[in-house]
Amino acid sequence: MSINGWFPLSLAASVTPGSSTGAVLQGQDIVLWRDASGAPHAWEDRCPHRGMKLSFGFVRGDHIACLYHGWEYGADGQCRSIPAHPKLEVPKTICATTYGIAESGGLLWAGLGEHGEAPDLPAADPVRSVQIEAPINAVLAALPTAFGATGLSLDGPLAMLDTEWGRLAIGLHELGPQRTALHLTRRLDPEDEDSTPARIALARAATRLRDQVEAATHHAAAVPGTPQQGETA
Amino acid sequence: MSQPLLYDYALDADCYGIRLAAGCLGIELALRSVDVHPGQEQLSPAMLALNPQGRLPVLTDGALTLTQTLSILLYLAESYAPDHPLMPQDALTGARMLDWMSLAAATLAPCAQARACAMMNAPGTLTQLRRDARRALRLFDDHMALQGLRGEGFLAGPEATLADLMLFPAFALTRDYGLDHDAFPALALWARRVRRLPGFHTMPGVPDYH
Repeated sequence: MSINGWFPLSLAASVTPGSSTGAVLQGQDIVLWRDASGAPHAWEDRCPHRGMKLSFGFVRGDHIACLYHGWEYGADGQCRSIPAHPKLEVPKTICATTYGIAESGGLLWAGLGEHGEAPDLPAADPVRSVQIEAPINAVLAALPTAFGATGLSLDGPLAMLDTEWGRLAIGLHELGPQRTALHLTRRLDPEDEDSTPARIALARAATRLRDQVEAATHHAAAVPGTPQQGETA
Repeated sequence: MSQPLLYDYALDADCYGIRLAAGCLGIELALRSVDVHPGQEQLSPAMLALNPQGRLPVLTDGALTLTQTLSILLYLAESYAPDHPLMPQDALTGARMLDWMSLAAATLAPCAQARACAMMNAPGTLTQLRRDARRALRLFDDHMALQGLRGEGFLAGPEATLADLMLFPAFALTRDYGLDHDAFPALALWARRVRRLPGFHTMPGVPDYH
């Protein structure tokens, strides 16, 4: 599920300037990072040197450095410094695989493969992200009830629900066949004086949704007669 | 004045939590290395005399012997740094801190077990222990997601307390047993704040970004 080849992988607010994080998309490892100026980047989560995850590394200024040997990569993915060989002019062939990146509607989107124009969404406040141990279809089916919405409109990986706490826009993110992440945002509302209570209510509802979907999924998957995993709300 | 002595193993998450808190509180600990792996020295007669549970941490100070991270952290702070900002001066924040410290003490054992299973061949099923560890850490991630919406950056309120230092090792070391931090986005943001506390330092397995 994508919009023109674009996938929502995180709340924009979850990746702060000067930091990196891993994001798995259908089993594929991606690193999201923001340089010191705040510009986001999405790359394959793999240092071309030894295959170490770049998301374990650290961001300094306008580059990301691998935790293993400190190889530094600039915004174009090009390796430009190898600490063990400080005088070496780094060959152009040493380059991380880069993807498209867009920030829209309070979400970070990665453009993979032949991607078209990036989504252009109205502004939204972050609520929270949750990871759910269940297939994406099980999560989708539970969304309207969990948020007390009468219906759900779907544009690729973007689910829209009208709730008593405002307009919820959720980035659906399939980590794997049995694991789904939801990145919840609440569209800005000119009537709002303070959106915090509404966003807290939505965050709590998302946590309940996760626990309920997991309990149902594991119940269905369990062999009859074996003890169930205890679930807490 | 006596100096508190920590029986220490460099790779133990609880021992790290105590060294970390002592560093942030500005307390100098005496350290006595215990060869946990592969020596199993925590089970030696001398160590069992100190702590019959056969595990670390152990802190002694004069006639006092303590074996629980929670009581060790509180003792160090109350005895040697009572006015430090990591020790809340108001009852409400203090109660919240103790609540989160108690929850950490009660729920985070699977994190240590999963790590010992992955790194030191301790008994257990890694997939099950990893799942239990994720469940345990989620409680804290759920809380920090709400704290973020309230504009509060730490477990007990807007300022860091001992509770944050007690939780930090369990979160920071999850990659040792194949649990990535992307499962806990609110804790990942929180950990960046903890890293900026004065006196913060790392241990093997917790990257030092210099």
